[in-house]
Amino acid sequence: MADDFSERDDAIGDQFRVLDAFRDRFRSVRSYLYYSGMFDELFVRVDPWLGLRFNLAMNKKIALVLILLLGAALNSFAQTNSTPGAPTAGIVAAAKQFLATLDDAQRGKVVFAFKDEAQRKRWSNFPTGIFKRQGLRMGDLTKAQREAALALLAAALSPQGYEKVLQIVEADEVLRKSSGQSIFGRDEYYVSFLGQPSSTEPWMIQFGGHHLGLNVTLAGEQRTLAPSHTGAQPAIYELEGKTVRPLGRETDKAFALLSSLNEAQRKQAVLDFQMRDLVLGPGRDGQTIQPEGIKGSALAEKQREMLLDLASEWTGILHEAIAKAKMDEIKKNIAETWFAWSGPIERGSAAYFRIQGPTVIIEYAPQRMGGDATKHIHTIYRDPTNDYGMKWWKQ
Amino acid sequence: MVEAVTRTLCRLALLLALLALPSAVFAHRDDQYLQATLVAIEPSGVRLQINLTPGVAVAEQVLAKIDRDRDGAISKNEAAAYAELLKRDLALRVDGRTLELKLSASEFVEPADLRTGSGTIQMEFSAIFGPLAAGPHKLTLENRHLTTISVYLINATQPRFATVQITRQKRNENQSSGEIEFNFHSASPKDR
Repeated sequence: MADDFSERDDAIGDQFRVLDAFRDRFRSVRSYLYYSGMFDELFVRVDPWLGLRFNLAMNKKIALVLILLLGAALNSFAQTNSTPGAPTAGIVAAAKQFLATLDDAQRGKVVFAFKDEAQRKRWSNFPTGIFKRQGLRMGDLTKAQREAALALLAAALSPQGYEKVLQIVEADEVLRKSSGQSIFGRDEYYVSFLGQPSSTEPWMIQFGGHHLGLNVTLAGEQRTLAPSHTGAQPAIYELEGKTVRPLGRETDKAFALLSSLNEAQRKQAVLDFQMRDLVLGPGRDGQTIQPEGIKGSALAEKQREMLLDLASEWTGILHEAIAKAKMDEIKKNIAETWFAWSGPIERGSAAYFRIQGPTVIIEYAPQRMGGDATKHIHTIYRDPTNDYGMKWWKQ
Repeated sequence: MVEAVTRTLCRLALLLALLALPSAVFAHRDDQYLQATLVAIEPSGVRLQINLTPGVAVAEQVLAKIDRDRDGAISKNEAAAYAELLKRDLALRVDGRTLELKLSASEFVEPADLRTGSGTIQMEFSAIFGPLAAGPHKLTLENRHLTTISVYLINATQPRFATVQITRQKRNENQSSGEIEFNFHSASPKDR
């Protein structure tokens, strides 16, 4: 499945490159269409840079054909909008496209009020059956609806973020098949919105299930992924002859950073007690802990770059421009950003680590419950100053 | 009588169904009781925010300590009694002086939720330590609650007051006890 999606992403990329040049022009046209409202007095103004104005009120058939053509192009754009720096409008269009595939009852289940605090916090690392989610279950959607939901994710996430999500879901499908338990698997993921998709008003996309709790808050062109949970079980599996590690880059980069520390630095970074779980996992909203480990100011320049690169595995789940802005913020505070480690230091062993700065908290915690802890990982990504984008909308 | 037997059988069936899931596959903290404590040090006292999450395999053991009349519900009195039980297993000291903990908030989930392994009981205890002299101090916390089935986390929260500055945290290996060293400064205007 992951490979299928990779191929699909390539195809999407090709489509997008063709459409990219027209994106802004479509957007200006669309705004006119949205506000025109009444066909009888339709006035379509093609982008002023063309210097063309058409008064189509006299020919409704031409207007209708034009609208359909533009609509198709915009829909295609919405589904293929996985480019760096994708504007919110593309995500909004993809969300509306998804909503348009639903019936009234489904729409009633998927959209919650933006102020619904219970739904905002209704996410977990647990599988369904243990933790009850609301919204629409992927397994209850038609093929077209599922594709529209995935197109929305592709629009909202970076290509690597989208791939990571698919690999986490696929890991759960592997778990379903190996365990025979129906609480696992790709059908058991839920999509929901808080608020209506909007380019100006705050709203939120939630997509989650076992080992996945994505909370993407959008407010105009600002977006945040905090707080979000990623995880994997199995954290390594074979698919069509290829080894898949949904959180492999995080793991490898963390061990590389630890290996780069000298003895004195390592003494600061490595905590001498067990960390059996995430400290600020699901359910710990609004909490901030005292940082521990080694401070960024005690790292060499190269090590700081490695720390930033490690953090980018979480910030990079969103689009490049959004991720870059977040990384710039983390980089600005790098001297005040801490790196802590707990557990064995041998590469490939099961160890906990934490990155904590003024505007970021990342935890990575292998789970020791009878099995191989390296194959069962939980992580959390938070922004203590802006979880759920609260600084953009909370009074 | 019939209702009680039916209820007991239902509970037994649920428990057996959950235990029937292969543990290595189910692989969430099924045989451990996670007790995660955040320690908030404030100018006049301490707050302990404790999240208690029993795994599936130990949920009945924990519930037996809470639902004492075994009627399948957690009454206010039972919740208060369990809070008292937990409180007796906690030892909080500042500079060697034992502080009296008072339950300031608690939230119990339904027994059925606890049995799933995802239900979390939340409790908050507070203690007043009175005026502290400016300078270094040490807080110690020990948690001896249900030690044979528990795993622990103890972390200091980032102080919300400029007069409190955490300087060091230490724990024993399994985090059932921890020390937090902190400096207390004279009150700044914003802390008053």
